[in-house]
Amino acid sequence: MTNEHKRSEGRPKAGWRIVLRSELSDLWIGGKAIIFLILFSLLLGVMAFLFATNKELSLTPPAEALFLMVKTTLAVGLLFGLVLGADTISGERERTTIESLLLTPVRRRDVVIGKYLAALSPWPAAMAVAGGYLLLIAPDGATFVSAFVWTGFVGTIIVAAFTGFGVLVSVMSATNKASLSTSLLVYILFFVPTQLPGSAQAGVVGELIRRVNPLDAVNQFLDKLLVSNAAFDELVSWLVSPMIMFVLVVLGLGLVAPRALRLDPPGIGALFARGRGAVVLALVMCTIALATASPSQALQESTGQLTIDVDLSSQEVKTGDTINFQTRVTVPEDEIGPWIVAMNIVNLGDGDPVDPEDWSPLRAQTIEQVDASRQAVLEWEVNAIIKGDYLVYMVALASPASAGETSQPVSSQGIHLTVEQFFRINPGGVLPLAIGMPLALSGLLYGVSRARRRTIDSEVMN
Amino acid sequence: MQAGEKVLTATQLGMTYGQRQALRGLSFTLGAGRILGFLGPNGAGKTTAIRILTTIIEPTTGSFSVAGIDSSDPHGIRQRIGVLPESLGFPGRNTALEYLTYFGEHYGRSRTESRDRALSLLSEVGLGGRHSSLIGSYSRGMRQRLGIARTLLGDPQVVFLDEPTLGLDPRGQQELVQIIQRIARERGAGVVFCSHQLAEVESVCDDVIILNEGQVVADGRVEDVTARKGAVRFSVVVDPPYVDEAVRVLQSERFTVSRDPQVDGRIEVELGTEDPDQTLEIRRELLRSLLAAGVDIVAFTNEASRLEEVFLSLTEGVAS
Repeated sequence: MTNEHKRSEGRPKAGWRIVLRSELSDLWIGGKAIIFLILFSLLLGVMAFLFATNKELSLTPPAEALFLMVKTTLAVGLLFGLVLGADTISGERERTTIESLLLTPVRRRDVVIGKYLAALSPWPAAMAVAGGYLLLIAPDGATFVSAFVWTGFVGTIIVAAFTGFGVLVSVMSATNKASLSTSLLVYILFFVPTQLPGSAQAGVVGELIRRVNPLDAVNQFLDKLLVSNAAFDELVSWLVSPMIMFVLVVLGLGLVAPRALRLDPPGIGALFARGRGAVVLALVMCTIALATASPSQALQESTGQLTIDVDLSSQEVKTGDTINFQTRVTVPEDEIGPWIVAMNIVNLGDGDPVDPEDWSPLRAQTIEQVDASRQAVLEWEVNAIIKGDYLVYMVALASPASAGETSQPVSSQGIHLTVEQFFRINPGGVLPLAIGMPLALSGLLYGVSRARRRTIDSEVMN
Repeated sequence: MQAGEKVLTATQLGMTYGQRQALRGLSFTLGAGRILGFLGPNGAGKTTAIRILTTIIEPTTGSFSVAGIDSSDPHGIRQRIGVLPESLGFPGRNTALEYLTYFGEHYGRSRTESRDRALSLLSEVGLGGRHSSLIGSYSRGMRQRLGIARTLLGDPQVVFLDEPTLGLDPRGQQELVQIIQRIARERGAGVVFCSHQLAEVESVCDDVIILNEGQVVADGRVEDVTARKGAVRFSVVVDPPYVDEAVRVLQSERFTVSRDPQVDGRIEVELGTEDPDQTLEIRRELLRSLLAAGVDIVAFTNEASRLEEVFLSLTEGVAS
């Protein structure tokens, strides 16, 4: 045995790339990620098939169906990222391979980064798989592009946040059991509120919880964007809590995880020890404050006169679709009320004039009381009955105090409603994709494992 | 790196867990090309000491250096050491070549260089023909050899081996010991060798440290440590037909004798003295008696007391 090799000085410049490459190889060539994609495509396939063929589900408006598909993509992608993240370090501890890793000159931060990025890698692939189903469900190309781009954007934020959280928990845990159970518990805590009925999520507290919960906030953002066609600047406040969670997790991965990456873990409690909990709490409180102070609200409070705003500017729907929106009425300090809000619908095309009573169960609503900020929020529902091009606008007025008096109505901005003929999702297109995608992915899995076996065998032969 | 040059220096290393002192005042040096046996009963502080010296944990007191790199630079130290931990897990779905190539890159080598290095090391440890088999199919002995190959990836100046022969059959143990000797003698690395196999330590190590309850109870060259305690022995090998006669003669001369059950004709004789002058005289007398009785002597060797006895006497009362 001769020492013919010169000892290499210095550690690798980008140790995280070495760790990432190895982890990607384990995840993808090992088959775990492809199996996930197969299961995921099966789930989306079943959903798409049901939307297309089931008597009741096929009546779901395309935008709603699209949103449900997006919501499922997010939930599954996020869960898989969380599980992979939770396995990163505690898994190495359990398999007693961690010591080898800690004994190399690679920086611990590089180990964390490499493993984190690898755990994130299935998300783009999941989005690519979901793309096919979204294209099938989306009513048109523009809606598909919007759904795909926005889901990709906000999904990346939330998946990166939850995956990173899983990695943090894993760094602190001795076993996979502890790491997975903690991560899943937190996931459930975030997920359960999103499943509560609408009435339980109403009111100031309900909205606060929805805004503070990053998972719910992302769903609300996409719901309003894809289903209600709300403008991005009206919705940006919904992204505050996901962004804060993402930033907190990245800070944790950069500052806490490398120091906690030891042979014997410090325990999950260390995440919140020595004042870190107070910092987390303070940041969460900031989230609440930011989330509740939406720009439009601040603007309304400063006007000092009767105003009415709607939270929807335009929407393209199919006949039979229901459109929901809110009006926010701000009344002057010296006005007593009550106030009346009425709905009007103008046909912008050639057809017959619209009778709003045919289109909405509530043509007008009365405001008897306003809150401390002199505001009242009303919920409205419009059913798209006939194909056409319409403008819905709302009028608010103070009820005159006596027979000889009058009042000045104010109008909201219009909601441009484009109603297309209802169509069913094409069942003929669903089945080939629902069957073809899992089959194609299974073929990929087979190909990858066969190639790997051949590599091993041929090298043994050599 | 010249033979004997100090590659590892520990000064007053100590470690406290809560109220318990796991290690107290550990100081020693290790020269290049030398093998240091690290002994002690379970809980004596061996693993703590190894983990400190390999930068896995920080000592509460003291410091150390590896090849001149101070313990305040753990990254620098990790580039100069190779470690085979006691419980080393392997990714069973990787091949040995993939495994070593991956770890080789951690030492700043390109992928190609790392692969070449891995192939060379696998060949050195006798796994050349199985480099592309899945590690999951390896026996324990093969895994240990793979672990040793991994310790050599960075061309270390100090190699730490924690129970490398544990669970191996005698042939596997022997092969591994030969590899360890080559690491020290041919590569010139200092080797810290932890083992409970005291005969193995005695045969392979140049120096030894015995720890008990976190403290050093004996250290120095192996022959010096073994000479401190117990009776000096002679070992006589006679032609098997003469064994009974030889035993009778030796017992009549009031020597304590015992037959070696593994080697037919080998008799061990305890003298009860460590004085070199006295042992020389006694040995002459012993030989004269055997020759006078017509015993056919095949071999005659001097033996110091075994390390096991020293170990047991120094760690008496400690459950291991």
